[in-house]
Amino acid sequence: MRKFASLVVVVILSSLLMMTFLSLSTADYELSEHYINYGVEETKALNLVTAILFDYRAFDTLGEATVVFAVASTIAFLVPKRTASMISARFSIIMQQTTSLVIPFLFIIGAYIIAYGHISPGGGFAGGVILAVITILITVTFGIRYSDRQVRSRIKSFMESFGAMGFVLLGLLGMALGGNFLANANSHFNLGVPGDLISSGIIPHLNVMTGLKVAAGLSIMFNSLIKEE
Amino acid sequence: MDTPVLLIALPLLTAFSLGIIKIFSKKMVKVVTVISATVHLALIMSVVREAMQRPIVYHLGDWDNLLGISLVIDSFSAMMALLIGVLAYAVIIYSLVYVDFHELKYYVLSFLLIAGVMGMSLTGDLFNLYVFFEIVSITSYALVAIKEEKASFEGAFKYLVMGMLSGAFVLLAIILTYQVTGALNFAQVAANFGDAPMLVRQTIFVFFLIGFGTKFCLVPLHAWLPDVYCGAPASFNALSSGLVIKASLYAFIRIVYLLFGMTTGISQVMIYWGVLTFLVAHILAYQQESLKRLLGYSSIAQIGYIMLAIGLGTESGIIAGSYHLFNDGLMKATLFLGVGIFSYTVGASKIDDLKGLGFSMPKVSFAVVIATLAIIGLPPFNGFISKWLILQAAWETEYIVAAFFVPIGSLLSLGYYLKVIKALYSRAEGELEVKPIDWKLRVPTYVLSAACLVMGIIPNLSLALITNIPKFLLDSSNYINLLLGR
Repeated sequence: MRKFASLVVVVILSSLLMMTFLSLSTADYELSEHYINYGVEETKALNLVTAILFDYRAFDTLGEATVVFAVASTIAFLVPKRTASMISARFSIIMQQTTSLVIPFLFIIGAYIIAYGHISPGGGFAGGVILAVITILITVTFGIRYSDRQVRSRIKSFMESFGAMGFVLLGLLGMALGGNFLANANSHFNLGVPGDLISSGIIPHLNVMTGLKVAAGLSIMFNSLIKEE
Repeated sequence: MDTPVLLIALPLLTAFSLGIIKIFSKKMVKVVTVISATVHLALIMSVVREAMQRPIVYHLGDWDNLLGISLVIDSFSAMMALLIGVLAYAVIIYSLVYVDFHELKYYVLSFLLIAGVMGMSLTGDLFNLYVFFEIVSITSYALVAIKEEKASFEGAFKYLVMGMLSGAFVLLAIILTYQVTGALNFAQVAANFGDAPMLVRQTIFVFFLIGFGTKFCLVPLHAWLPDVYCGAPASFNALSSGLVIKASLYAFIRIVYLLFGMTTGISQVMIYWGVLTFLVAHILAYQQESLKRLLGYSSIAQIGYIMLAIGLGTESGIIAGSYHLFNDGLMKATLFLGVGIFSYTVGASKIDDLKGLGFSMPKVSFAVVIATLAIIGLPPFNGFISKWLILQAAWETEYIVAAFFVPIGSLLSLGYYLKVIKALYSRAEGELEVKPIDWKLRVPTYVLSAACLVMGIIPNLSLALITNIPKFLLDSSNYINLLLGR
């Protein structure tokens, strides 16, 4: 009976929501038009998503990176410290060898996606996730003890803090050069030619910082969560 | 001047750097914490002083008003910033002694929380508001669980579930707003919002009300709060009751006034819901035995008063509401810090445990009693003035029923707070042995409680800060022009 009542409520509410969606009006999106038409010109970053993420709305990105930071540090202390036996099945040597073979390539892909974030699709968040996959793969195939020995958790938290700090410091750099916080395109940086690896001011540097932070944060999260009592 | 953004950037930078500092020297963590908090307070003071003369607009990344994100500091934001500065500083000093669990993480998360609350109060961008809202939520869940006791995990889990629900509602509302206005900047959103169909606007209002309402504890959505407060450290309780809840309320007020304006319908919803909130919360508080739960319900009740006052939509109503918001922050922080001292020294968590403490810890008890009397609304304390202003404002706009219930609510709160005072000053059965209390615990409590008294005797101090608030809330075109730099 209670299930039936909740079903009725859900149906009524969702049909109300559907009515709302059906009556949605579309505004004229001057803002996105501007980004599309002038984005490359103003920021010299070919990848528009990166231009918006790390220049127009870089402050939001700092906030999002902070959310990842907060989650990683929360999970790190909430989960029991004890390293229990991994849930792992023992993997055969083929699996282990393949993993070792793949890791360097993964590293290159991750680094490429971060470094070329302002030119081609990708960026700090995407590349950071790929870098985190390396430690996750090591943990899954070789066990958590080995993984923690290879990349110590102290180094990971150092990387994470460093990346986050670097983001803020790069923001302050804009202020030191006489602009506002996180000023890039409107500051005195030499933006270079769109399409060059070294171009568009602090965007690539912000990408590297975010990449470091996300990579370290995600691998801390994964390694903390996989420990169990 | 470049200082406005530093109010957010400095606590963020401190939080990120603490982990690195700890690797080099463990002792430096507390030193850096104190230095950063002091500098932060000084920065806030200077920004608030500047904003009182002339509202500040700060464009991040030097982008044009509409392209990038802007910080806007009008009187309302300045008042929130001042409240954040004072409470955060008091709580950080207090935590130096009080916190002996996961110290590093505690400070990291506290600074992130402070940065988040600050961001919520200063930002002039809808999505940026959501980002900081998320930072505040996540750090709050973590700080609730930080003691790693059974009660704190239970509280944190409840908080997490409710918080995620509320976050989903707020995000959906923001997405819908973007869909119908094509902008995220408060000014642009407010200017375009009138063209949206009625049904969409109503949906957005309901989503914002439920989303933020869960966070600031409107009555049917309040159930998480007492459980959360039970397991959390007292220093977080003070921050939560004084800042976290208030920041959500601030965001809601800002959005309602900017997007919808105070129409009669919205006004009535807010007024009667506010009355309902404080009546129910007062009645529930009356039955509590645990001190923190009692204070939690009392926090919910004060939210009701603020809702009622803001919902009146008149100049006097807004002044009364924002003044009460400020005062409640001070009073609740004093109470929670005082209760924290009681639980830290003698392990008191129930009202009955307080017996005799009035004699063995006379000064701290006196500070707590001052805050108690203030929150009940007795003269000559600040709570009396703001409640009187609320009553007057409600009377002027002829919401007689609402005005009638304000003193009734005070009467109810007199009932349960008297139990606390009575317990404090009744003789205990055995002799209580009380360790000397560190000054870092006592001084913040005294200062905040003295502030309650001073603000009551010389109300002009803070009234100077809040007289301009209605100008930017009531007439949203003022705010829009300010943000667009017209």
